[in-house]
Amino acid sequence: MATTTGDAAGAAIHTESLTKFYGKNRGIENVNLDVRVGEVFGFLGPNGAGKSTTIRTLLDEIRPTSGTATILGLDARRDVVAIRRLLGYVPSDLALYPNLTGHDTLTYFANLRGGVDWGYVNELAGRLDADLTRKIGDLSTGNRQKVGLIQAFMNRPALLIMDEPTSGLDPLVQREFQAMVREVTAEGRTVFLSSHTLSEVQRVADRVGIIRDGFLITVESVTELRSKAMRRVEFLLDSPAEASVFDELPGVRDVLVRDNIAEMTFEGDMGALLKAATDRYGVEDIRTSEADLEEIFLTYYHGDGERQR
Amino acid sequence: MTLANIFTNTLRDRWLSWAISAASLTLLLAFAMSIYRDIDLSIYAELPVAFRSLLGIGDDVDVGGLAIGEVFGSIGAVAVAAVALVMGSAAIAGEERNGTMRILLANPRTRTHILLTKVAALALLCGATVALMWVPVHPIAAALNVEIGGLHVEALALHLYVNALFYGMLALAIGAATGNRDTAAGATAGILVLSFFAVGLLPLVPGLEDLRVAFPWYYFTGSEPVHNGVAWSHLLALIGASAALLVVAIVGLNRRDLRGQSVGTTMLDRIRGNPLLDRLIGQLAGSARVSSIWIKTASDYQTLLLITAAAMFLVMGVLLGPMYASLPAETLSAFDAFPEEVLALFGGGSLSSPEGWYTLETFGLMAPLSVILVTVVMGAGALAGEESRRTMALLLSNPIARSRVVVEKAATMVLFGIAVGAATFAGVALGSVLGNLGMSVGNIAATATLQVLVGLVFGALALALSAVTGRAGVAISGAAGAALVLHLLTSLANMSGALSAVEWLSPFNYYLGSDPLVKGMNWGDALALAVPVLALIGLSLVLFQRRDIRKTG
Repeated sequence: MATTTGDAAGAAIHTESLTKFYGKNRGIENVNLDVRVGEVFGFLGPNGAGKSTTIRTLLDEIRPTSGTATILGLDARRDVVAIRRLLGYVPSDLALYPNLTGHDTLTYFANLRGGVDWGYVNELAGRLDADLTRKIGDLSTGNRQKVGLIQAFMNRPALLIMDEPTSGLDPLVQREFQAMVREVTAEGRTVFLSSHTLSEVQRVADRVGIIRDGFLITVESVTELRSKAMRRVEFLLDSPAEASVFDELPGVRDVLVRDNIAEMTFEGDMGALLKAATDRYGVEDIRTSEADLEEIFLTYYHGDGERQR
Repeated sequence: MTLANIFTNTLRDRWLSWAISAASLTLLLAFAMSIYRDIDLSIYAELPVAFRSLLGIGDDVDVGGLAIGEVFGSIGAVAVAAVALVMGSAAIAGEERNGTMRILLANPRTRTHILLTKVAALALLCGATVALMWVPVHPIAAALNVEIGGLHVEALALHLYVNALFYGMLALAIGAATGNRDTAAGATAGILVLSFFAVGLLPLVPGLEDLRVAFPWYYFTGSEPVHNGVAWSHLLALIGASAALLVVAIVGLNRRDLRGQSVGTTMLDRIRGNPLLDRLIGQLAGSARVSSIWIKTASDYQTLLLITAAAMFLVMGVLLGPMYASLPAETLSAFDAFPEEVLALFGGGSLSSPEGWYTLETFGLMAPLSVILVTVVMGAGALAGEESRRTMALLLSNPIARSRVVVEKAATMVLFGIAVGAATFAGVALGSVLGNLGMSVGNIAATATLQVLVGLVFGALALALSAVTGRAGVAISGAAGAALVLHLLTSLANMSGALSAVEWLSPFNYYLGSDPLVKGMNWGDALALAVPVLALIGLSLVLFQRRDIRKTG
C-alpha cells in the first residue's frame, strides 16, 4: 500500500522493508530507501549484492516477497503504467532488438510512449556520438549502450533509473553522460543509478546507498563518504620501515612493510599520519590511492571501530 | 567432466533432444505393434505402391513390417533426420549467432578442428539414438508376440542412420558456409520435406517415377532395406554426398569472415540499402514496422508466415487440383480399397472424390500442421522469446500494462493463423477451379476455418506455457508434444475401441470429425475449438501478470 507519510510524498523512490527471495536465496532483505526528488542517488555495491534485484522490483519486473515500494508517490505494483509514463530506464546488461537500427529502436519506444521530441533525440545522439542508422546487432557494446541511454533520456522523464549505465562507454562519453545527468537534476528531475565503482558514483551523485549481500548498509552523502573514505597510503622511506611505527596510529590498518616501503590503509586526518612518518624517517615519496569498494564495505561492517581483516 | 572439451560440451547440450526422440519413437513402435496386432491387415496389401512407400510399408504386409516400416522407415526417419538437421544447423551457425563461436576460437583450436568435433558429436549422438531405437525392437516384438524374423531391422536402422546423418551434414555445411542458422535449417528442412514427398508421390504420376532418383530420400527407402537388406550402393551415395558436404563445410568455414551477433538481412533491409529507395520507403511508410507491438511482432515473423502460407497456397492447394485431375482412372479406382485405418493417420478421406483427395493430401495433416507451426512458434516467442533475449524488461518499462503486451502478441498470432488458413483456402479453391473439380467454395472455407481454429488451440497453448514459464523451449516442445499425442489419439481412435472413449479430448476430433469439406460448417465443432483458444489466451493474461520476468535465457 502506498504510504502517505510526508517522507513518501516528497520522495522520488520510497521503499519499506522491501524484501525479495528467489526460493531460499536472498535477493534483498528489508531495504528501506528514500530517494529525494531532484537528487542524483548512487546505488553502490559489488556484483551480486542486490542492486539489480532492487531496481527490477521497483520496475515491477519482479515482485517483492514482502515490503512495498512507491515511486513518485505511486504504488509500484498498482500504478505501474502511470509510473512508467514518468520513467526512463536503462536495465543492466542492456539488450535491444538486434535486427532494428538505433533509429527504429527509438521509434518503437517513442510510439509506445506516445511521441517524442526528435530534435532532442538528435541532440542526445550528437552529444553521445551515437550512430542511429546501423543495426543494433552490428554495434559494439558501448555503441549499443548509447542507444539505451538515449531511449531513457529522450522523453525527459521525471525519474531516471539506470542500472550500471556507463558499462562499455569510453571516458569521453562517460563525461558527457555525467553532464547529461547533472542537467536532468538541474531541471528538478531525479536520477537513480547503480554502479560497482565508487569513483564513478562520486563524480555525479549527491547521495550514495551502499548495498551488500542483499542488505542496505548505509546511505550517506558523497561528502560524508569522502571524509570516511579510506585510502591506500604508501611511503618510501630513507631507512628500513618498521610496522610498529604506524600500527598504533588512529585510522591505520593493514600495515605492510618491506625494505624501505611501508604500506597501509588509512582513514582520517592525513596530517597526523604524515607527522608520525616524518618524525621517525625521512620520507622520500608518498603515493596514495583510493581504497577499493571492498575496503569501504569493511569499514561499514566493522563500523564499531573494531579493526580486523 | 562433461565440460572437458568442445566434444563433450556439445554432447551435453544436445543429448536431450536425441534421447526424447529415441524414447518417443520406441513408444510409438510399441503402440503401433499393439494396434496393428488387433486389426485386419489384408487390406494393406491393396494400397498403391506409392502410399506404401510413403508410409514405409513393404510388399509383405504383416504386423511387424507395418509397425517397423512406419516408425523406422517413415515418421521415425523424418523425426531423426529433423533432429540431426537442427543439430547440424546449430553446430557452426548457431554458435556464431549466440556469439559463442568467438570464445571457442579464442582457444588454441582451428576452425577445422571445431567443425570436425561437431561432426563427430553429431555422428555419435545420431548413432546412439538409432542404437537406442534398435535395441528394444526385438524385445518389444517378442513381448507383443509379433513376428519380425524375416525383416532386416538392422539394415533399415543402418539406412536410417546414414540418411539422418546426410541431412545433419547438409544443414551443417550450409551453416558453416553461410554462418546463417535459419538459412541452414530452412533450406535443409525444405529439401527433406520435398524429397520425402517426392519419393512417395512421384510414382503416382506415370512417366515421372524415375525422377525419384534425384531426391536423397530415395537412397534411404528406395531399395526397401527392411525386406532386401542393406543396399550398399545407395548407402555409398549418401555417404559420398555427406563427405562432399563435409569438404564444402570445411572450405566454406575457413574462407569466410565469422559473423558477429548480427542477424540476417531481410528483403526490406536490402531495399533500404539503396539510398534512393530508402528515402522513398521512408516517405511512404515511415518506420512502419516499429509503429506498435503487434506490427513489430508481425514484422518479426513475416518470413515464417510468408514461406508457410506460400507453401500451403501453391503446393498443398493450387498444385494438387490439376494433379488430381491428371491421375489416371485406374489409379483412382485402386484407391477405393484404401483402408480407413491408414487414411486416418492422414486425416481420413477417400481418394475417389476430390474432397477426399484434398482431405488426405492437404487438410488431413499439412493444413493443421502449418497453422500449428506458425502459431506455436509465435506463441512461444511472444513472451518467452523477448525474455530470453532480455528485451522484455525494456519493453515493459514503457507505459504499457503487461496485459497489453499479451493481448497484442496474441492478436498477431491469431491474425497469422488466419492468414495461413486464408492462403490454404485460396490455394484449394483455385486448385479446384484449375482442375475443374467442382468443390464447394463454402465447404473449403468452412474446413479452412476449422483448420485455423484447431491450429490456434496449440498456438494458444504455447502462449500460455510461455506466459507461465518464460521459457520458449518448454512452450514449443509442450505444445508440439501435445499436438502429436492428440493427433495420434484421434487417428488411432478409429482403429482401437479403447481409445474412442477418450476421443473427445482431442481438438482434432472437432476439426475433420464432421467431414466439413463434404458436409460444410459444423458450428458446434467450431465452438468446441474456439472455447479452448479463448480460455488459453485468457489464462496467459492472468499467468503472465503474476510472475517475475526472467532475467536470463
